[in-house]
Amino acid sequence: MKIDFSGLESTAPLCGANSEMFDGISTSPSFQIPDTTDFDDFQKEAIQMVKPAKGTTTLAFIFKEGVMVAADSRASMGGYISSQSVKKIIEINPYMLGTMAGGAADCQFWHRNLGIKCRLHELANKRRISVTGASKLLANILYSYRGMGLSVGTMIAGWDEKGPGLYYVDSEGGRLKGTKFSVGSGSPYAYGILDSGYRYDMTVEEAAELARRSIYHATFRDGASGGVASVYYVGPTGWKKLSGDDVGELHYMYNPVEPTVVEQEMSEA
Amino acid sequence: MTKQHQNWSPYDNNGGTCVAIAGADYCVVAADTRAVGCISPFTGAVRQKLGMLRVISHLGMFGGELSRADKSLMASSGFQADVRALQKVLAARHLIYQHQHNKQMSCPAMAQLLSNTLYYKRFFPYYAFNVLGGLDTEGKGCVFTYDAVGSYERVGYSSQGSGATLITPFLDNQLKSPSPLLLPAKDAVTPLSESEAIDLVKTCFASATERDIYTGDKLEIVVINADGIRREYMELRKD
Amino acid sequence: MESVFGLVGADFALVVADSSAVHSILVHKSNEDKIMVLDSHKLLGASGESGDRAQFTEYIQKNVALYQFRNGIPLTTAAAANFTRGELATALRKNPYSVNILMAGYDKGTGPSLYYIDYIASLHKVEKGAFGYGSYFSLAMMDRHYRKDMTVEEAVELVDKCIIEIRSRLVVAPPNFVIKIVDKDGAREYAWRESIKDTSVPTA
Repeated sequence: MKIDFSGLESTAPLCGANSEMFDGISTSPSFQIPDTTDFDDFQKEAIQMVKPAKGTTTLAFIFKEGVMVAADSRASMGGYISSQSVKKIIEINPYMLGTMAGGAADCQFWHRNLGIKCRLHELANKRRISVTGASKLLANILYSYRGMGLSVGTMIAGWDEKGPGLYYVDSEGGRLKGTKFSVGSGSPYAYGILDSGYRYDMTVEEAAELARRSIYHATFRDGASGGVASVYYVGPTGWKKLSGDDVGELHYMYNPVEPTVVEQEMSEA
Repeated sequence: MTKQHQNWSPYDNNGGTCVAIAGADYCVVAADTRAVGCISPFTGAVRQKLGMLRVISHLGMFGGELSRADKSLMASSGFQADVRALQKVLAARHLIYQHQHNKQMSCPAMAQLLSNTLYYKRFFPYYAFNVLGGLDTEGKGCVFTYDAVGSYERVGYSSQGSGATLITPFLDNQLKSPSPLLLPAKDAVTPLSESEAIDLVKTCFASATERDIYTGDKLEIVVINADGIRREYMELRKD
Repeated sequence: MESVFGLVGADFALVVADSSAVHSILVHKSNEDKIMVLDSHKLLGASGESGDRAQFTEYIQKNVALYQFRNGIPLTTAAAANFTRGELATALRKNPYSVNILMAGYDKGTGPSLYYIDYIASLHKVEKGAFGYGSYFSLAMMDRHYRKDMTVEEAVELVDKCIIEIRSRLVVAPPNFVIKIVDKDGAREYAWRESIKDTSVPTA
């Protein structure tokens, strides 16, 4: 098996990297592969031991003013909530955001790697990378690791010379250009709200509210989603976080408690 | 290719629990010293106490004593062989960093290094669950929590390992620090004083030891603040 | 589910594909163009895993273009189909691509042609071909109504019959289709058959 490690190469090598003394410690990074006859089986077992965070709702859509990106913040392992404060919207650079669904470490690591590549592109070409280009960089890296058990479902949203851009990229190598995506276990619920409420000519406020409501409804129905609903907006001047609300509090904001009328009172005879 | 036994696995779980709490100007990192292993590697059913280990690494020179200059503390649980290997790699990388830059690595930098170190073994993971505590560049307490393949986040407090499912809900209840994702942001720093935090950690472990067979024997606590770094121990149930 | 089919008419060849990007029960996108314009006179309709499909068809497209750059003449449709088969067969013993391909082209002299290549790299020259769940319906429809001397209008009428049959009889029928044609004037998009509109991005 041949694996493409070019995604890890750095243009600035560590000093003393070739010294034998530091062999295996400061040499250029590479992945250690287990020396086993059955890699697939090993992966299956190893992954069970370090089960990645599953269960997510993320969404993004393009509208008149730019791109709206939103996500929940829960990480669960089976029935146990391992974190309620996961940052599922990853800030790649001031003009580009990535979302996180699937393996938390896979998403975090490769988005950071993408951020490095985008910055290097900027330095080499004196202009920011397009969303199309950035998403293809990520898709090609993930595709080169296909079949090795990476688990990534991400949306790359940003603003470039052509205006707003949105791509869906996954670890099977899929890459879709589009205007409206939702990824994760809660995505069917989010799509329901998003599809019925979406108009291209929304204002930023309307779009942010639609995004937040979509996440809220997904967290309400999907047990594996929850925590804080974060909403980001990417416009011509870059991204900005618009809101971050505890969905527990959102529930009572959307469904105010009304005093219930007592129809029949039990009384002791 | 090497011949392998049908039920052979390169991993074991020796258990253990760690906790870290960040305060305004201090950080408490604690872990129990119990290690549990299996007698028969082929059944995995019979488990036995292995003994006591020192589990908190200050990432200084190998086996060196705590130093005033230390900025990061790392507590780990899981498979002890992997834990030791990981802590040694990190300590070695830190030593190289000190030679190259003539200073200690900051805690947030160490956090990223640990993340990358774990991820580079993505296809043959370190079976180690870690928390990293220390003081950040502004002198505020910070805690970073990880999964086995390097996903990490900065939090106000965290617990990892076999007793994490018992301790985390308790800490949530006692400290309930607001989520860092909230906007408008709320201050996430633990309202506790240093001594209160240490007492809380001791309570956590005393309780976890009652209900988790992999936690017990002895508790090691390391506290880091502006005045320096110190270690203390507390006895836990031995059964 | 995926439906790709095509046929050869009097002086043209045509390929039809659904345009749904599906993940388990979710339709992520309903205007995904799965027919690549390979070069000026070739079409490549592909179905299979989304990553493999995009990567492999793009690889073929770039290599066909490279051949043309190096030698100054384009590959014939037969040559391009055999090249594609060869690449698929080589990959089959290393890291297989799961893509099924319909390649349509028009060459001076030979006229229009259609090639059927499946994921295990078998190659057939056909008059009409289909892949995916839609093939059960479209193959029978084409067997019944196909003639060698069809005009574009007649062929599109047949294609529309196939699309209607797929939409009305297939449980998990895709809503939208794209039709592309290649003839002596080149390869081009002919029409979309959409029952659900996906919002498109107005280019700034």
